[in-house]
Amino acid sequence: MSANPASMPPRREGQFEREPARRVFAAELRECRYQFKDGEDEKSPTFVLLPSGERSNRIFIVGTLTEKTRQGEQNMFYRGRVVDPTGTFFIMAGSYQPEAMQQLAKIEPPQFVAVIGKASIYQKDPASAPLVSVRIESINVVDKETRDLWVLDTAKHTLDRVDAYAKEPTPDILKAKEQYPTIDPSLFRKIAWDALAQIKM
Amino acid sequence: MDYSEAANRISRKFASGGETPDVKKIEGKLKRLVDEFNVQPSEAERSVTSELAKEYNLPVPGAGSSAGTAGKGGGTEEKKIAEGVPGDWVTIEGKIVALSNPPSPSIAQNGIIADESGALRFVVWAKANAPKMAEGSWYRIESAVVDEFKGIPNLKIHSGTTIKEIEDDRSLIPTPVPIKDLHTGIGGIRAKFVQEWDASHERMLQSGLLGDETGTIKFVIWKEPGREKLVPGAVYSIFYAQVDEFNGRLSLNLNGATILQEEGEIAVSGGDASVTGAIVHIAPGSGIIKRCPVEGCNRALSRQNYCPVHEIQQGFAYDLRIKGWLDDGEKTHNVLLQREVVEVLTGITLVQAQEIAENNPLGMDEVFLRMRDAVLGRYITCHGREIDNRVLVNKCDVVTFNSSDHTALLNRAGGAPS
Repeated sequence: MSANPASMPPRREGQFEREPARRVFAAELRECRYQFKDGEDEKSPTFVLLPSGERSNRIFIVGTLTEKTRQGEQNMFYRGRVVDPTGTFFIMAGSYQPEAMQQLAKIEPPQFVAVIGKASIYQKDPASAPLVSVRIESINVVDKETRDLWVLDTAKHTLDRVDAYAKEPTPDILKAKEQYPTIDPSLFRKIAWDALAQIKM
Repeated sequence: MDYSEAANRISRKFASGGETPDVKKIEGKLKRLVDEFNVQPSEAERSVTSELAKEYNLPVPGAGSSAGTAGKGGGTEEKKIAEGVPGDWVTIEGKIVALSNPPSPSIAQNGIIADESGALRFVVWAKANAPKMAEGSWYRIESAVVDEFKGIPNLKIHSGTTIKEIEDDRSLIPTPVPIKDLHTGIGGIRAKFVQEWDASHERMLQSGLLGDETGTIKFVIWKEPGREKLVPGAVYSIFYAQVDEFNGRLSLNLNGATILQEEGEIAVSGGDASVTGAIVHIAPGSGIIKRCPVEGCNRALSRQNYCPVHEIQQGFAYDLRIKGWLDDGEKTHNVLLQREVVEVLTGITLVQAQEIAENNPLGMDEVFLRMRDAVLGRYITCHGREIDNRVLVNKCDVVTFNSSDHTALLNRAGGAPS
């Protein structure tokens, strides 16, 4: 006889899932060398593969904006440096992100800032070292407590990734092992500890 | 063997459908089947009946009403209403608990029939020539078909169905079920009217959320003479409401339901969704907004004071809200913060926001920008009800630095690799 409709799993068609913003320390993001597209579509999201074995499209960082510069004449854009306890994020906002650019233009360093953006890997020319930079979607001034919360949050997610890496390999972990054969993710455990230790008790 | 009795019986079944089959011809067919092909007489009768039904394009009348096979039934069984499954031929006894206006001239009557086991929607086809049934009376309905209409079981009364009124007055006390146990069909609940929503359609009288201790469910009442609005905050016993499913979610249609307002209070399950993360985006339409003043509308107006239903409105009411994304690093949750939550989180009250909007060159945008600067990038915990992947937040806490979390993480990071 016919199935009881109440027992069928709810159907959700074409529901949009926003890419989560990954938490990653500058010291780990800096090591990224591999980016890929998920799907053939022009609109398919681009991911940067973290060495600890997780794909990231969007990232959320909180740190100190130490410097910002305006560049370009026709195509004006802003560059900035955001420092966390482990290193430096290179952020940028161009005329395609007018809102983010205005937000960044308004902030006078040094300030604690929260940044939501997308990481990508650039290489000026084949001879130079690749650079990971974050194209920002939003930037906002926050307080020190938010920065400290972010360090805890990011340390937790980093440790989760390092633990998962040592256990059951997911396709992304396998890819990370293949792409970053010289990186031992237990390094990021040490980095997380260093970051946590910099927060005053 | 005499076939005339069986032939007359078959002919009578079709007479009620307005057809007059040739009795002699039926008799001949029966004779041929039984004598020449050694078919059982009851089977022969069934086979001729269905052949004629096909010919006249009528539903196959069940054998339940025929004197020869009554009781045993050729495919029709006496059942409790709750046992009726689409595809079954059934004989049931039940009370007409609701009648509604037939949506089409080909339908003579439709409504809901119930017994102590449950309730079913029913439809009586005009072609069935059935006697009119009265609301509140009991009937024995023989040889009706249960099928499915819009995903809900439905009892079809056709020309082969016999309807007999049951004289003795039986009592029928329906029992409500917990909201979480509702399934598509007809159901009854005891619930509190917890939230009234904007009517999203002109024909809609009221919609909102009903809740009991086990959960909540959306309801709708369509405009119809005699239908009244429910009172927000009141407790109701609702019986014989239609439970529909759309996009995997259930909702109650209260047209046709029996609704009794009750004394007492229900501790409604407040929606147990709770998410912690960072606010990573504040969507347009956040901040101070204007709402349509038309009674029961309450929609957000555009900048030009335009309501999608009531067009340009001058006497609007201000409100605060924040629509945004809360991200925990693994998943992003769509959150909608209501006015009280926004006031606490941003430190800007509705009165202050209104003052800013009216006295600042940027107007309402200024409120948006100030609220964005106050919350974007902050860690918060939202409590509320999750509906369609969106959390309607009725309480919100700012996350504060917890040194024991800090210590625990230091120990975890410093510990041996697991």
